[in-house]
Amino acid sequence: MSADHTVANGRPAPLLRADGVTSGYGGEPVVRDVSISVGRGEIVAIIGPNGAGKSTLLKTLVGILRARNGRVFIGSEDVTNHAPEDLARRGVGYVPQVNDIFEPLTVQENLEMGGYLLAADRIRERVDEVIRVFPALAPMLKRRADKLSGGERKMLAIARVLMLDPAVLILDEPTANLSPKLADSLLRDHIRRLANLDKAVLLVEQRARAALEVAAWTLVLVSGATRLEGRPGELLGRQDFEELFLGAGTGPTRPAPTLPSPATGGGKPEEEENA
Amino acid sequence: MSLLVAAFGFGLVSMSVIALAAVGFTMQFGITNMINLAYGEVMITSAYLAYYVNQAGVSIWIAMLGGAAFGAVFSFLINRFVYAPFQRKGTALLGMVIVSLAVSLMISNAMLPIVGYFSAAYRERFSRLLHFGSLALTVNQIAIIVLAIGVMLAVHALLRYTRLGKAMRATAANPTLARNCGIPTQRVIDVVWLITGALCGLAGVVAALDSDSFTIANGAGFLITALAAAVLGGAGQPYGAMIGAVVIGLITELSAAVWAPDYKQVVAFGILVAVMLLRPQGLLAKRGALAAAG
Repeated sequence: MSADHTVANGRPAPLLRADGVTSGYGGEPVVRDVSISVGRGEIVAIIGPNGAGKSTLLKTLVGILRARNGRVFIGSEDVTNHAPEDLARRGVGYVPQVNDIFEPLTVQENLEMGGYLLAADRIRERVDEVIRVFPALAPMLKRRADKLSGGERKMLAIARVLMLDPAVLILDEPTANLSPKLADSLLRDHIRRLANLDKAVLLVEQRARAALEVAAWTLVLVSGATRLEGRPGELLGRQDFEELFLGAGTGPTRPAPTLPSPATGGGKPEEEENA
Repeated sequence: MSLLVAAFGFGLVSMSVIALAAVGFTMQFGITNMINLAYGEVMITSAYLAYYVNQAGVSIWIAMLGGAAFGAVFSFLINRFVYAPFQRKGTALLGMVIVSLAVSLMISNAMLPIVGYFSAAYRERFSRLLHFGSLALTVNQIAIIVLAIGVMLAVHALLRYTRLGKAMRATAANPTLARNCGIPTQRVIDVVWLITGALCGLAGVVAALDSDSFTIANGAGFLITALAAAVLGGAGQPYGAMIGAVVIGLITELSAAVWAPDYKQVVAFGILVAVMLLRPQGLLAKRGALAAAG
């Protein structure tokens, strides 16, 4: 990341930017006036309780949901409400929280579909390149995707999206349903490595502490609106953030915290939330 | 024994005709999520188009291509101008079934003044009989079996080995994710309607040829048989539809030989009901051409 690509607050120039986005599923908006950006080589995490609108925001950014208000930009180009296939062509890769692979297809076929926009010979090369990033997938190329374990499945979902070598990666709760060990490995090893490859990574994560550990910038979404944002270190020092997510007396050795639900005021265990 | 062998021969022909019809029907459902009750009417309309071409002096085997082309274009247009607008509005599956029923009735009633009530027959409906031991088949019947095998192999190759076929399966499995991969799902669905419409038109001409003579009322019967094979095999699964066609085609003819021809449909559909009771998802609900090989 070169110096001329950075802006005044030390963050890289935005590659993906949303300004004042409002969206939902009909009726009252789920996300209201949210602005967020992510630059090359940067990991930005969105955290918040269940129902905060995190996934809705991501779906709006990737064109699955229409933005009622606000604009979305890739670089300087306005891509608000562009179709998902158009955003894929422009270098936006998206891994949804659920339904993140083509279950009836083999691992190899999933990767081929991930690279649908590439020429046929380039697809073969790219499969080899992506398998080098996730070597665990190599022996299971002929296996049906619905036979994979949770961790293998998530690896495949990310590998599939890497087929087009996207500049922006949008990951919706990639650690959902994974064991704590696998979740840590995915966040600390793989997702960090993607940012090191100069990709802009926008991440929704239920494990607030884990998200803070890998993210360069964090946005806290509550009831569809931005409550807080900043560098993880700055947020950790704020009393309102500590009270909202981490509780009193947090420390580095505490287990990963659970996010409270605004409806109940308390949180379910994170594995239940991810079910 | 010779009666059973002869019935087996008829069964081979029946299952070939049913497979041609059922595979297109089940692919429409599997990939576009549309239970198209107008399928039988498109079949019989295509059969009539081939009939008029045949009456003009063109061989039925050439006219059959016209029937397939007509079925492709007609199905594509029905989807583009009727089904797709309803689906975009979010009409539920049951609502779409009613819409397709309405389309079916519109087609049959629009066709009636054109083709009339009387039965029609292709010029080449009779052909030379060939004997293979106790098995006797006409040249037309052998051609129908060969055609069906060729089409089934082509469908298999399309879905398993081509980029378009894999994109069809991806669109069937997860249309939103397919769009996120850059797959132009709308174009894929358009092609699915063209291909399945061609299968529908082809099946209509073949079914009409196999029946010796046909009327506009045959459309409903074509639909029911295709539907039964598709449901028996597992809705949305082309391989399942092929197996469903084998089961219904063979059982229909063998039961006619060992019991009574009048009850052959009762036996075939009785087995369909029994399979549905024991395995409501159909024979191949979990595995089929839309699924992977591994």
